[in-house]
Amino acid sequence: MIPPRSALLLALLLPAGLSAAPTILRGPYLQSATPDSIVIRWRTDTTEGSVVSYGTERTALTKSAKAEGVAAEHIVQLTGLQPATKYYYAVGPAALPPPSTEKKSTAEDAPGRASIHSFTTPPPVGPAKPTRIWVLGDPGTKNDVQRAVRDVYYKYTGKRGTDLWLMLGDNAYPDGTDADYQKAVFEMYPETLRTSPLWPALGNHDGKSANSITQSGVYYDVFTLPTRGQAGGVMSGTEAYYSFDYANIHFICLDSHDSDRSAGGAMMQWLKADLAATRRDWIIAYFHHPTYSKGTHDSDKDTDSSGRMNDMRGIFLPVLEAGGVDLVLTGHSHVYERSWWIDGHYGKSNTFNAAQHVKQPGNGRVDGEGAYRKPRARTPHGGEVSVVTGSAGHASSKPVPLNHPVFFIGLNEPGSSVIDVDGLRLDLVFLNDKGEKRDWFTIVKE
Amino acid sequence: MRRRFPPLLLWLTLAGGLVAHPEIEDALRRLNARIAATPGDPELFLERAALYARHEDWINAEANLSMAAELNPRHPAVARARGALALATGQPGEAVRHLNAALALVPDDPAARLLRARAHARLGDRPAAARDYAAALAGLDRPSPEFFLERAAVLDPPEALRSLDDAAARLGDTPSLQEQAAALEEKLGCVEAAAARYTRLARQSERPELWLIRRGDLLVRAYRPVEAAVAYREALQAVAALPDWLRESPETVSLISRLQALLTRLPASPP
Repeated sequence: MIPPRSALLLALLLPAGLSAAPTILRGPYLQSATPDSIVIRWRTDTTEGSVVSYGTERTALTKSAKAEGVAAEHIVQLTGLQPATKYYYAVGPAALPPPSTEKKSTAEDAPGRASIHSFTTPPPVGPAKPTRIWVLGDPGTKNDVQRAVRDVYYKYTGKRGTDLWLMLGDNAYPDGTDADYQKAVFEMYPETLRTSPLWPALGNHDGKSANSITQSGVYYDVFTLPTRGQAGGVMSGTEAYYSFDYANIHFICLDSHDSDRSAGGAMMQWLKADLAATRRDWIIAYFHHPTYSKGTHDSDKDTDSSGRMNDMRGIFLPVLEAGGVDLVLTGHSHVYERSWWIDGHYGKSNTFNAAQHVKQPGNGRVDGEGAYRKPRARTPHGGEVSVVTGSAGHASSKPVPLNHPVFFIGLNEPGSSVIDVDGLRLDLVFLNDKGEKRDWFTIVKE
Repeated sequence: MRRRFPPLLLWLTLAGGLVAHPEIEDALRRLNARIAATPGDPELFLERAALYARHEDWINAEANLSMAAELNPRHPAVARARGALALATGQPGEAVRHLNAALALVPDDPAARLLRARAHARLGDRPAAARDYAAALAGLDRPSPEFFLERAAVLDPPEALRSLDDAAARLGDTPSLQEQAAALEEKLGCVEAAAARYTRLARQSERPELWLIRRGDLLVRAYRPVEAAVAYREALQAVAALPDWLRESPETVSLISRLQALLTRLPASPP
């Protein structure tokens, strides 16, 4: 017989224990996707098992993967996947029951553990495949501007899925804390997080709660990024900077904020090795601090951002251009600025000489002066476009100069950029928060 | 003990310093308002010091740290921040003094250990730096390659090699660690070991020619021309296996010319 005091305790505790299953507070979200693997993460309010049930049919999640032990921060890697394949998945403390006993699933976007979501694995590395990339610089304001920019993109892309998305740093204002990330990232983009892998860069605001040399702090806790070259590229040994491949594109993420930016530093050694090793058609580099800007930051001022813009322009850009980079994406300055087809400009704005540094005249628009053209063969200093797209959360409330001569266009407007790569053609579009296409250009390799 | 709150004039002084960027001005404005509302909170002065330090306004950073220290002399983050500031402004001796205080309060703080290791290294006290790097490492789950490279710089070559190999075991064969290790091995006359590192990097790479050329260059410097020629020939084979569009790129064409020129100067087989 149960003693009365124990019975009372049971009466108080049991209903809560039975009915209050842990709630998913964050995610699921997708990380470090490769053609045959993906990391799925989520957070619950209390500790429990970490199991992902998955399969290629929505009604038959017959496979499962799990992490050992119990946790509130769940990190499960799925391996042995097929490239370019749509998978359905559900997360929870245990594998889903077999299909015959499974209850009808809830809507894909509905929150909660029983929800079934989907992702498509990246295609095999090398061959081309039409790829859509969403690029968000400095998005994390948590305000209506961030929401408007997001919603414009959702409307623009419609049913066309986002293959991957990049965050260029300052992902969560003001301090990159866990609470900031919760509001600015996880509660802002839940659908995209569940269906498309996110590849972030570290910004100065994220750096307030993170440290690159010790790889500690919120940014490093929240993301799972490839350190051993497992998604393509050369292993960096750190999540601060890394590279990955998607189809015929090689992406390089640098840490312009907190890692050693010297010419002899580890990041530079890795970058040179990584550029030399890639066999992809396209090279897209992204990091937080712009090489050029006359927006809310001034790349001519040595003291602005403690010289980080100088370092990225004077030390890293020459190596990127020599390595055949096609596109350089940055944020930090809360504007949109897009360069001409350029090469070799590493000084201040007053040293820019269009005759010397603009490699192809024109605006790069197919419906204008024509696309930028570049040989497919890897060509050192063959030209690139630098894009500052740092207004996904806010533009400047005050007028800004936007008069750097390296840029074809400068806009003090909130917005995000969308890249479509189709074989040997790359298109970039900047959409403002009103849904207007405010800039666009094309690069064709031949 | 009763806390002494800074007078209004001092708040204004500590909040001084013209900052150009509106984002910083906004952050400063928010912090000033919070400090005005809670003038006895050392965390706020620490935060404001960090804001100034990030923009290399050392005078205002130090003034705010002094105020935080006055409000709570035993706050471990204050001593650590003062150590970091002293290090950033080129005063390693002063940094060690503050970091000693920080570590007396929290002995297993890896960030303070790392800062003190750097301060000792700056002062030329390599054994003390090595001890602090080792202690910091014990407290880190995910140290970066940079950490191990910094540590290797204060160790004697054999110890540095061991540390770099430990790093590679934890982090993988990253080029920065392996190249540093190979350079140390070359210095110690361990050419075989250094060459083996380049071979390993070549095997892991989609384009092995870079590492095969490094191996060849190393063997040339070690007066082992026959083996160097083998490495260069392997590099040429790797280049030949590239798809046309990469093999015919200007940089690959110039690489092929360089390799062919090198091979003409090296013996094809042992004399």
